[in-house]
Amino acid sequence: MRKISREDFIVDTVVYIVIAFVFLVTLYPFYYSLVISFNNGIDAARGGIFLWPRQFTLDNYKAVFSNDQLLGAFFISVSRTIIGTIASLFATSLFAYGLSHKKLLFRKFYFSLLIISMYFTGGIIPYFILLSNLKLINSYLVYIIPSLITAWYAILFVNFFQSIPEALKESARIDGANDLVIFGKIIVPLSTPIFATVALYMGVYHWNDWYSTAFFTQNKKLRTLAYILIDLINRSDLTSILRGGTTQKDAAIAMQTFTPETIRMATMVVVVIPIVCVYPFLQKYFVKGIMVGSIK
Amino acid sequence: MKKLNYGSLPSKSKIWSTFKEQKYIQAFTLLGVVFLLIFAYIPMVGIIIAFKDYKLTSGFAGFFTSRWVGFKYFIEFYNDVYFWPIIRNTMVLSLLKLIFTFPAPIIFAIILNEVRNNKIKRVVQTVSYLPHFISWAVVAGLLFSFLNQQTGLINQVLVSLNMVDEPISFLAEPKYFWAICVISDVWKEMGWWTIIFLAAIVGIDQEIYQASIVDGAGRLQRIWYITLPSIKETIIVVLILSLGSLLGGGLGGSNFEQAYLLGNTVNYGVSNILQTYTMTVGLSKGRYSYAAAMGLIQSVISLILVYTSNYFSKKISGSGLF
Repeated sequence: MRKISREDFIVDTVVYIVIAFVFLVTLYPFYYSLVISFNNGIDAARGGIFLWPRQFTLDNYKAVFSNDQLLGAFFISVSRTIIGTIASLFATSLFAYGLSHKKLLFRKFYFSLLIISMYFTGGIIPYFILLSNLKLINSYLVYIIPSLITAWYAILFVNFFQSIPEALKESARIDGANDLVIFGKIIVPLSTPIFATVALYMGVYHWNDWYSTAFFTQNKKLRTLAYILIDLINRSDLTSILRGGTTQKDAAIAMQTFTPETIRMATMVVVVIPIVCVYPFLQKYFVKGIMVGSIK
Repeated sequence: MKKLNYGSLPSKSKIWSTFKEQKYIQAFTLLGVVFLLIFAYIPMVGIIIAFKDYKLTSGFAGFFTSRWVGFKYFIEFYNDVYFWPIIRNTMVLSLLKLIFTFPAPIIFAIILNEVRNNKIKRVVQTVSYLPHFISWAVVAGLLFSFLNQQTGLINQVLVSLNMVDEPISFLAEPKYFWAICVISDVWKEMGWWTIIFLAAIVGIDQEIYQASIVDGAGRLQRIWYITLPSIKETIIVVLILSLGSLLGGGLGGSNFEQAYLLGNTVNYGVSNILQTYTMTVGLSKGRYSYAAAMGLIQSVISLILVYTSNYFSKKISGSGLF
């Protein structure tokens, strides 16, 4: 047993103060948003709410989910997250499955194309011109198509597929199965961990993306929830937030209970909640992902 | 096309029959290749418009058919009234992040490693990288709420502690802009990059520590003489990565998001950076060639930064990324 030295004591104190600080500073903003989002808006504007709602209400959420614009954005976000994730899993895994065959003709050439695309890009302007010429600007498909294949995830897939024993594929081939059947019946069921990892990556990307909405669409019907949030930040008057959707009467009643601030908080909570819900899964897989990435 | 090597020289018909045998996997791969050619390689070719007078209506053909103008747009950018402010703002923001955001995860990883209670350690670490997965749209929303002049929590606290006489309008005052960017960047990305450094620390041979304890080394000495030198390689790799993306905002790559989301007419003098100006000129004003020229400048600087930092890291420490 060794004694606790003076240095030990000081180091421990500093360490615990720092981690307590990081812990609180990281979590509190989320908690505070949650508290404010459940509080009466007019009351919240008076300040002094830190730990618990003072005048509890669900009105902020009712307002969010009864507003056509916000509700529309919610559905766009949900649908692009589901469709975009599934489509990109499908495209990226098939591409990677092809690349994972060691005897694939022109394999080196295909791989060079993939690797070069990771290190060099044309930049945003030529990319915008591309989307514009493909008629993807102002189209729902701009959320789905450009993210179908991500080079980095393709490489994660290739690495995983190559770790599956060749003998399994061989025996299926002898039984007369073609590559398509082998992929569906053998490879996919054995690769759930990598599918889960990439699905989570893609899902988070789609859910959080506001960039495509801001720069590649003008149509109000294509707005995503993340984008709406930015829109809400830039507006301070309620009428413009609630324009369209709620009727005059609703708005008049609502005026007394919520403010732009509480609406913003409620929207923010709606955007953050799904991420927090998948977080336990995320962190399990993500950490593996980043480790592979960094050691590369 | 480069010389392809398929073992011993096959005949054309042999290649064709192999190709047919592989028809499914070739089809899968080729679909992906076509995707890459379209979405990655066409824009690369498109960089050419920085030297041309490109109009959106001329389509892809316009990449080649537009009139050459040489360095016209580069010269125009240099003479732009915003040129020097943009260069200054981009450099200051990037360098501040390099100074603060880069070392933060190293320090935090070392601190976490000193936590003896494994449960606390794991909980704090898990919490610390949650913000990495949160959209900048949300972070901007949080900042607006917390920094609000009337209702913001920061002002409430400052006023109640009598630290300020009047609530401060943080986001409307240019002098706070850089600090807000750096602090929010550290808040969002520190925990995430800690993962890498902590993994490197965990990989250190425990016997070295045991031996140093026998020799009478204190905890600070162990950190300084064992932990830090042992993770030197990881630090260098991450440093090269952040230098390569210096102009984008380093590890978090958040310069654009911050300048775009937190920028407003009041702080334009400090929030106008290369990336946001490229967007304004290119997408809002439709001056694609001019904007492409600015984008190209940024890519070239980044490329030079990666190569030089890699070169120096090889010279100094004998290790680099490539």
